[in-house]
Amino acid sequence: MKKLTYFPGCSAHGTSEEFEKTVRMVMQRLGVQLEDIPDWNCCGATSAHTMSESLAYALPLRNLVLAEKLDNTTMAIPCASCYQRMKVTKIHMDENPELAKEINSTIIEEGTYQGKVAIKSMLQYCYEDVGLEAIKAQVTKSLAGMKLACYYGCLLTRPKAVTQFDSPEYPMSMDHIVEALGAKATDFDYKTECCGASFSISNSEVVLTLTSKILEMAKESGAHAIVVACPLCQSNLDMRQPGAEKHSGKKFDLPIFYFTQLMALAFGMPEKDLMFNKNIIPVEKALANIGKIEPEPEKSKKTKKAVEAESEVA
Amino acid sequence: MARVGVFVCFCGANIADFVDVNQVVEEVKRIKEVKFATNYKYMCSDPGQQQIRDAIIQYRLTSVVVAACSPRMHEKTFRKALFDAGMNPYLLEIANIREHSSWVHQKDKKAATEKAIDLVRMAVAKSIANEQLHEISVPVTKRALVIGGGIAGIQAALDIADARIPVVLVEKSPSIGGKMAQLDETFPTLDCSQCILTPKMVDVASHPYIELIPYAEVLELEGFVGNYKAKIKKKASYVNFKTCTGCGACWQKCPVKVPNEYNMGIDKRKAIYTPFPQAVPNKPVIDAEHCNMLTKGKCGICAKVCEKGSIDYKMQDEIIEREIGAVVVATGYSLWDPKPYEEYGVGRFKDIITSLEFERMVSANGPTGGVPIRPSDGQVPKNVVFIKCIGSRDEAKGIEYCSKICCMYTTKHTILLHHKVPGSHSYVFYMDIRAAGKGYEEFVKKAQVDTAATYLRGRVSKIYKKGDKLIVRGEDAQIGQVVEVVADLVVLATAVIPNKDNPDLARLLGVSYDKYGYMSEAHPKLRPVETAKAGIFLAGCTQAPKDIPDTVAQASACAAKVCGLFSGDTMKKDPMISSVNNEFCSGCQNCVKVCPYGAIVTEEIPMSRGSKEMRTVAKINEGVCQGCGSCVAVCRSMAISLAGFSDPQIINEIVSI
Repeated sequence: MKKLTYFPGCSAHGTSEEFEKTVRMVMQRLGVQLEDIPDWNCCGATSAHTMSESLAYALPLRNLVLAEKLDNTTMAIPCASCYQRMKVTKIHMDENPELAKEINSTIIEEGTYQGKVAIKSMLQYCYEDVGLEAIKAQVTKSLAGMKLACYYGCLLTRPKAVTQFDSPEYPMSMDHIVEALGAKATDFDYKTECCGASFSISNSEVVLTLTSKILEMAKESGAHAIVVACPLCQSNLDMRQPGAEKHSGKKFDLPIFYFTQLMALAFGMPEKDLMFNKNIIPVEKALANIGKIEPEPEKSKKTKKAVEAESEVA
Repeated sequence: MARVGVFVCFCGANIADFVDVNQVVEEVKRIKEVKFATNYKYMCSDPGQQQIRDAIIQYRLTSVVVAACSPRMHEKTFRKALFDAGMNPYLLEIANIREHSSWVHQKDKKAATEKAIDLVRMAVAKSIANEQLHEISVPVTKRALVIGGGIAGIQAALDIADARIPVVLVEKSPSIGGKMAQLDETFPTLDCSQCILTPKMVDVASHPYIELIPYAEVLELEGFVGNYKAKIKKKASYVNFKTCTGCGACWQKCPVKVPNEYNMGIDKRKAIYTPFPQAVPNKPVIDAEHCNMLTKGKCGICAKVCEKGSIDYKMQDEIIEREIGAVVVATGYSLWDPKPYEEYGVGRFKDIITSLEFERMVSANGPTGGVPIRPSDGQVPKNVVFIKCIGSRDEAKGIEYCSKICCMYTTKHTILLHHKVPGSHSYVFYMDIRAAGKGYEEFVKKAQVDTAATYLRGRVSKIYKKGDKLIVRGEDAQIGQVVEVVADLVVLATAVIPNKDNPDLARLLGVSYDKYGYMSEAHPKLRPVETAKAGIFLAGCTQAPKDIPDTVAQASACAAKVCGLFSGDTMKKDPMISSVNNEFCSGCQNCVKVCPYGAIVTEEIPMSRGSKEMRTVAKINEGVCQGCGSCVAVCRSMAISLAGFSDPQIINEIVSI
């Protein structure tokens, strides 16, 4: 069994319990043994990184130092914010050894940072290290019939210099994963738009405007549901959805799944273990589309032919 | 006894602000051979030169040292001043105290002054050993090579040929015409591009002094100004141009369809094709990459239908040579690929096109008959959004510079849209409107009124699809708000970039190029069409982005330069070349091996006077030698000497500091 260092993050113990649980289920099925970083701490995403630069580095750095005590070369993180804080810290520490030494001195009792563990988001790990073929091989209950809008949010692929993964503006890795599960990924132009999560408490009006637009575009793309890989995206789009419907006067009715929930479902794992009961927007209607395959509409080539004919005359 | 005069230049403030020019004069006056020393604000000006001329006569100087800028700038100027005062011009030495001292030591005036004094002292010592030298005359081949057959190459070739100087015009594609042949109308007058260009193309083909070599590339250039030899590869066209009448039977019957480069791939051409109906020469070539006969050995239809039997599938590339005296490089430009603009959905949305694609559509001879259409569904668009500076002025994704022509052609495009699609509306997102040029600002202002186009100052951050429309979201910085425009079609004004092979061509020609790949002119203001290599000139976008008027002006300037170069039967050449002292030459021929110009040959001379036994010695070809000094360095028996850089001169310099 392959081993992988794992940083669950705080959300995993609260709002994104279903993400956490399905990540562990899916990874076990894919033959990856997760090894939690012993005695891990908060990454500092919520407030530390806006208050104090040294604290913003010190909190993730302690996790990085602890992670090096495990014998793995890669660490995966389910939460996009944790991933971002840890990766930013790693890059700044690796580029600036002086700074690394200074920050390291504040947590020196935990050990000396060496920079030997690669950091990936759980999405990136599934896409790059597990691979689409291995995922496809585990599918026993295809999701064919389901149309899904994959929403990446701000932090999974941006800034490119930090994430070094997929396209920063129009990523496709999650789309490829859900297609490996048999579902259809819709053309969703708002897949990297900001949902306003950081204003969730301080200015919810902004959040409602932004999430309404995302939900509206997902609906228009023909999706039955939205798929995410980030606890903040999930809670914002799911919990704020009734508010967004009221705000925009439109009915969305789009459940928000973690991609690992859908992987587990397609792997034939029992539905009761996937914690769909934690979803605020009910999932039943969306899931009912599984197996209902519409015939592909025939594409009209008339206009294109007309153009060609015209040009030949010219 | 040597009598040296020293003239120190302030170069305005360029030197005087960082070097104590009075101290320099005082110091060099102590050298016993220096009989006169002075300084002046602008030594290169007429009063400055007059001081030199007067001093030469008054103090009976035997050599002159000018401490000023680089000899590349003004050596010729000061040599002429010496000549006018009756002195051999090669008794001049330049001490470069600007580039070598004041400009590079601006933070330390004391050190800069000391260094300047040392440089002058060296030049004085060297000049004492200077000898009188005389210019060499070399024959000139009065034939010019023009590389590239766009408007720049066409104009240069015609102007040179009209002066009855033979021109070889080499064009890499099957027809001349270049980018201008793809344009519909031209700013700021809306002249029809075809109407002003195609007659010139015909003139090129019929001109008795122009040899047009289409579908060809320059492979090698050797020699020196006035005496170059160019190796040219004529690519196999598989069509005998001598017998072909251009009737068109072959391309009508050819079964292979290939995206048409002339129409930016909007429609298809055949595998045997002429690029466009007005092509010059109007003879087809076979695209070997796509021809069934040449790739699979099956087909042969074009050969069957050709009544003249002009098709020759066995034709090979041919290498030809031409002797020429000067080169005009006019290879044009390319356009930046907007793929990095992922947030616009470039590549995903068919209805985002580039400006040149739009230009082809609105062209009277274009693939859609002069009407723009949406590539997605063939419908005529009503609302068109034009976005400028795609890749230009964009350090993150593209290049830093302004492409110069986009503001103007986008304005033209709003007019063309207004004319061709009734009820249409243009939206233009811009950073600045750069309309410097004769009649340009007026053109933009009039277009804004006539078309009622909406100009939005700001960048576009995102384009997304809603139904069959594109929603363009950008900033309107003048009202400080984010705006969204519903568009049927989006047109990107992509940056002008140098051709990918520009650096390779520059190296082949021995011309320098800048960090982007544009070829470098000898001086940005005073020698804008010359390169640092004598006899090679630049016209058009091979040097930097520019519009048609500037390109034509530059091409004519190149022609004037070529005509000037060819105005005599021989050409004067600096006498700073190597010579061999046969007494010392052992005939080892190391010099022959290191000479980068192939200027050294060997000859047999008698062992001694009257002797019948012969020995081998090196011989310098005066016309070819460029005075680089490599041979001097490798000569073991010190038999070779370089005029102007003789051993006594160099040793004097070294001993003086």
